[in-house]
Amino acid sequence: MRLLQFILHIRIFSRFILKRRAFIGCFLFAVFLFINLNAWSNEQPEIIVNTGVTENTVSGNVLRSIFSMRLKTWTDGTKIRVFVLADDDQLHQIVAKEKLNVFPYQLRSTWDRLVFSGTGQAPIKVNSNEEMLAKVASTPGAIGYLWRANINESVNVLQIK
Amino acid sequence: MNQLTCSRLSSCLCENLSRKIRWLVIMMLAGSVSAQAQSETGTQQEFKPLQSLSNWFKTSELPAEATGVEDNKKKPGWVSSTINRFRNNELPGDLQIHGFVTQAYIATSDNDVFGNSDKGGSFGLTEAALNASARPLPKLQVSAQVLSRRAGEGNTGMPRLDYAFLDYQVYSHEADQFGIRVGRLKNPFGFYNDTRDVAFTRPGILLPQSIYFDRTRNLGLSGDSVQIYGEKAISSLGTFSAQFGVWWPIVSDKDTESSVVLTHLRQGSLNREASYIGRGIFETNDKRLRLGVSGIWLNTSYDPSFHSQDPIGSGSFLFTPIYFSAQYNAEKWSLTSEYAIRNISYNDKFGNKFLFNGRNFTGESYYFQGEYRFTPRWEGFVRYDAYFADRHDRDGSQFSAEFGAIPHTRFAKDITVGLRWNVTPEFMLRAEYHHVNGTGWLSRLDNPTAAGTTQHWDLFGILASYRF
Repeated sequence: MRLLQFILHIRIFSRFILKRRAFIGCFLFAVFLFINLNAWSNEQPEIIVNTGVTENTVSGNVLRSIFSMRLKTWTDGTKIRVFVLADDDQLHQIVAKEKLNVFPYQLRSTWDRLVFSGTGQAPIKVNSNEEMLAKVASTPGAIGYLWRANINESVNVLQIK
Repeated sequence: MNQLTCSRLSSCLCENLSRKIRWLVIMMLAGSVSAQAQSETGTQQEFKPLQSLSNWFKTSELPAEATGVEDNKKKPGWVSSTINRFRNNELPGDLQIHGFVTQAYIATSDNDVFGNSDKGGSFGLTEAALNASARPLPKLQVSAQVLSRRAGEGNTGMPRLDYAFLDYQVYSHEADQFGIRVGRLKNPFGFYNDTRDVAFTRPGILLPQSIYFDRTRNLGLSGDSVQIYGEKAISSLGTFSAQFGVWWPIVSDKDTESSVVLTHLRQGSLNREASYIGRGIFETNDKRLRLGVSGIWLNTSYDPSFHSQDPIGSGSFLFTPIYFSAQYNAEKWSLTSEYAIRNISYNDKFGNKFLFNGRNFTGESYYFQGEYRFTPRWEGFVRYDAYFADRHDRDGSQFSAEFGAIPHTRFAKDITVGLRWNVTPEFMLRAEYHHVNGTGWLSRLDNPTAAGTTQHWDLFGILASYRF
């Protein structure tokens, strides 16, 4: 009888241990996922605008038109001023491919066509993420892009429809 | 190399001095500004040997850029402060300054291209430009560019006003827009004409000559015009953009005159008449597929000279080419093709002394081009380019029988392979090789007698270009 009880105890105990192990596993996995998601979301590129820009969302077409330097004013009539990083910057390349859906070399050739035929202007080049944040925050009508981790409340994030 | 540079410089000095000085001032300005721009963006990660090679190119091979670098060393404060002021976006009107300097070396087996290229090659092609644009009002842009091009007999390097115009965007809603441009404008035809002098934007040292003749470039390049333009998003497919203009071509240059009137007997001059130009381009949203149609209706008339007994009467000339363009862009490669059908008609007022009096020719041109981007820095391309002055007489035999001319002046078939190296985003080197059958697009000023030209010939070129 005692032996039976003992065996039962052991069974309950081992089940408990197993459950707990599963729980700990789940917990660790969740923590891992959370950290990972967090890192992943920090590595997301975002389109940022000056806080004076009234638009919160734009369509993909409008965004492409802005970065192609064809659309020149926001809906309220203020000048759009486009800021970009160097052509070979990783963030620039990701924004071109993922947000604008064009290859970076195509953006460059579009800008060159505008600049050297006089029918448009080039975007303003900045040399670092810090400069991007500072310029977009301080220039009326400015638009640019940054990693989520580098964005603070001095600029607005523009949503894409 | 040094010897060639020296001989080039000394021959330059022999030319008209005042022209030369103006040209040099432009070059130095452009050069110094570009040198400054490079030092600003000199943070590129590069292999040391590449950097030293590019430095070597900049200082020893390119006289124009070398001058610029020296100039920059003398007055760094002035140049950098000027550039910093220009680069500062807080300037009223969003003023921007851009430009480029290009130097090419061209060697040919026979025939001359941009100078005396068949006797050991020449540094005969130099291009430099400086442009400024500003937006005094949100929808108003003002732009101007001065261009200097030294290329054979047709272009002396004398700076000319390439474009200068006002652009007002009348309407814009979402990605759709409509506007007007007034002033001297670049002629929009084909994929490349608007920026044909910018080495960074054209495919190769030489553009496909069948479509973009360098021979009549001054006529086709820009003109005083009024243009309307529009852009319309077509659902989720892409964008259609169009330009249409009335235009008064610039005809007062000897290259155009010799190409249009085709004779060294000419003593009079060409007149500008109202001409029309239009282009429509459809581009998918991802810019992978681009399709274009452009057309020109070019009117010119000839004024005989009053001082002498001009054998040629006051005839007029109509050039009506239509261009079809197509391009597919993938991440690593691009395929481009353009086709032109060119009608040229001379009316019968030139008189009997003029060979083409009352004649009408329909020419045909096309090219196929494949570009491959091995890495973002290294690109290669191959191209087949064909030109026929008369599509009904592709080998020139009828023309030869009728006018006693040499048949190979009536066509050219050019196979090209080339390589492009983007040393930095601002500095680029190119090399290319052409094998050409025919002399159809050779400059008549550089090759005055057709009898002195060779049907099968080769061309090798190297080019360095700097932009800012």
